[in-house]
Amino acid sequence: MEHLKEIINTLTNPKILFPSILFLYFFIFPPNDYLLKINKRLKLYNIWTKKGAVVLFSLLIGFFAFGLTDPNFQKIVAKPDNVPIVGLIFLVVFFLWLSMYQARENDQRIAQGKLPNEAEDAKEKILVWPDLVYIEFIALILCAALLLTWAMVLKAPLEEPANPSVSPNPSKAPWYFLGLQEMLVYFDPWLAGVLFPTVIMIGMMAIPFIDNNRKGCGYYTFEDRKMAVSIFMFLWLVLWIFLISTGTFLRGPNWNFFGPFEYWDIHKLEALTNINLSEYVYMIWLNRSLPSNILLREGVGFLLIALYFGLAPLVLSKTLFKNIYHRLGVLRYSVFTILLLLAVSLPIKMFLRWAFNIKYIVAIPEFFFNI
Amino acid sequence: MTQSSTTSDPSSNKEIKCNDQSIDRRSFIKWLTVGWAAFAAVLGGYGSLILRYLFPNVLFEPKQSFRAGFITDYNLGEVSEKFKDQFGVWIVREQDKIYALSTVCTHLGCTPNWQPSEGKYKCPCHGSGFYKNGINFEGPAPRPLERFKIELSDTGELLVDKTKKFQFEKGEWNDPESFVLV
Amino acid sequence: MSDQSNKKSLIEKITQTQVWRAIFRTGIPRNRRQRMMVMLNGVFLHLHPVRLPKHAVKVKYTWCMGGLSFFVFLVLTVTGILLMFYYRPTVEYAYGDIIDMREQVPLGIMREVHRWGAHLMVITVWLHMFRVFMTGSYKPPREFNWAIGVVLLVLTMLLSFTGYLLPWDQLAIWAITVGSNMAGATPLVGTSGPGSALLAIGDVNFITSSSDARFAMLGGRFVGEGALLRFYVLHCIGLPFVIMIFMIVHFWRVRKDGGISGPT
Repeated sequence: MEHLKEIINTLTNPKILFPSILFLYFFIFPPNDYLLKINKRLKLYNIWTKKGAVVLFSLLIGFFAFGLTDPNFQKIVAKPDNVPIVGLIFLVVFFLWLSMYQARENDQRIAQGKLPNEAEDAKEKILVWPDLVYIEFIALILCAALLLTWAMVLKAPLEEPANPSVSPNPSKAPWYFLGLQEMLVYFDPWLAGVLFPTVIMIGMMAIPFIDNNRKGCGYYTFEDRKMAVSIFMFLWLVLWIFLISTGTFLRGPNWNFFGPFEYWDIHKLEALTNINLSEYVYMIWLNRSLPSNILLREGVGFLLIALYFGLAPLVLSKTLFKNIYHRLGVLRYSVFTILLLLAVSLPIKMFLRWAFNIKYIVAIPEFFFNI
Repeated sequence: MTQSSTTSDPSSNKEIKCNDQSIDRRSFIKWLTVGWAAFAAVLGGYGSLILRYLFPNVLFEPKQSFRAGFITDYNLGEVSEKFKDQFGVWIVREQDKIYALSTVCTHLGCTPNWQPSEGKYKCPCHGSGFYKNGINFEGPAPRPLERFKIELSDTGELLVDKTKKFQFEKGEWNDPESFVLV
Repeated sequence: MSDQSNKKSLIEKITQTQVWRAIFRTGIPRNRRQRMMVMLNGVFLHLHPVRLPKHAVKVKYTWCMGGLSFFVFLVLTVTGILLMFYYRPTVEYAYGDIIDMREQVPLGIMREVHRWGAHLMVITVWLHMFRVFMTGSYKPPREFNWAIGVVLLVLTMLLSFTGYLLPWDQLAIWAITVGSNMAGATPLVGTSGPGSALLAIGDVNFITSSSDARFAMLGGRFVGEGALLRFYVLHCIGLPFVIMIFMIVHFWRVRKDGGISGPT
């Protein structure tokens, strides 16, 4: 028992968990034909069957049931503020399965030359009263009942009165912003708190204008639009829902990582001494002091960023993204890659931090300009 | 509306001149510009009124300066938390000087905790760590903690003035107002 | 038997009164024509079309999440108004009022419904977005409505965030401290954001801690009385007003863009 907890604690260290999720991710949601072939050979597509659902939910319920025997895990889950997150995890897994289940069915039908299920249904027209109105009425009553029961069983969280001189340890943002709070560990506030949220908003609005694939409108499908689904799932599932779960279950006092079954020790020591890229370049590789000229000092960082956003789209358009480039055209393609590169910069920065203790690629604290 | 649609069509230019409309193309554009400029000015005026409205002239905030006792009240090498709750200041006494350190994390404004056993300030929000002198060394904080103006009054008491702050990255910690020599 | 027939006639009597017929023009929707008319005549039911393809009413396809988001929003509006009867947005009273709402008011679960409802709304809105994505419903001609939806999503989270401060507990002020300091890091218009030093004439800096984006949000230099009042007003009046406008456009466009998506 203790042994198993130990293993889970080790595996859930984000430094192991996050890269493995990133790796597995592309086999579960393959963005191209090649990975889809592997996915089918490994029979991973069978997660989205009814049997798969049983396995998926047994695992999930099993984990929580097992976890609740542990006092440390209990403390996190039973915190009233965390209840919606546990609910969210179950709901997201369920609806993920539900959508992919229907997508799988439709994909098989389309492969056989048939129409998707929705198209079969759509041939028949029905009256909104009573068919839809009653469904809505029932949904509404169920929802109200759920909300009332929830409100009667669990008190709304209320902590001690506000005290401006003592920050609670750990202090967490509202759960739906925990993904942002996780970003704040790796990026400066002006990026993580202002620029990225703005880009996320604009980027989301831009989705329909970037995705010019006319197939897959109005029915569940994966294979007709695997690239779009794969990217969206990556952003939503991995960079949002997963980071929220990380922030809830794995972040403890002093914002250190803790395993789900680990005791939240306030004095847990973690060497986090961070180095800027410029210090790496000048002090460690060139073995001299930092130049006083800011532009000279941060030149390498600026160069890297210019290459990342300037050269990478060009190179990708000739190699990995060749097909996408042809399908999207220059303007769509540029917007798409820039947005994608911005999104991917988060895992990259995480990796740099964990592997090399890199704090900033460009560090100009004099002007609050750090990247 | 019909005006604008016909004038914007280059092929019908001549017709308009022949038809001797009451407004010709040039004056139409002129009036259009004036109209839009007036609209923008009104909008901008209201906008800046609203914007300015958000910033009151008087703030009812607590006093920003306080007396912090005598130098002898502080032990060598100690971080005093006496004024943390009320004023958000740590008084740190070193070998040769004493200074007032802000308790506001430079990352996002949480209040770090002084952990004497590890000799560091550790912020609970995002894990920034600062040495005893306020220099950041771990976590996301972009710069060291700020120091406040500190001086000796006539009676020999320490006076801390929070309205003036000194930032390390701008080289202001060498400013004689930012510490008191012991 | 005779009892039953009596009852039936009673219903019939009621439905044939002038008052009833003045309110319900079409009568009880029993036949096809009446069922169509009831959708056309009601101001609220008129949100829906009269007929739909069958897939569009299946819960498997729609998940009901959009409708539930709207329902939870209505619940939040009602409970929110009720909470305003007892809550005073001042540093002195706020926390005590929140406790009194539970302890001193009969059936004091209004705050619970409001708080959990807020969480629920965030979840339903996310799942609605997820469903719309998975069915590719953002594709033409519904691109613009997807953008409106993104705005609604952001507004939902902002509403939840502004409500977070009002209990004036530890959770509240630190979440808002962190959030508002992010505003302070806005490029150009925040004191601790890049480029704020550029907006200066000589030595006079325009962007200071009492004239930047963070100050506009808080009405002060730290989270205090001013911030509580500003967040309260935004939470109760400002943002609900804006979100309602966007909701109207959202619903309107659902119909105008051809109703719920479906395979063509």
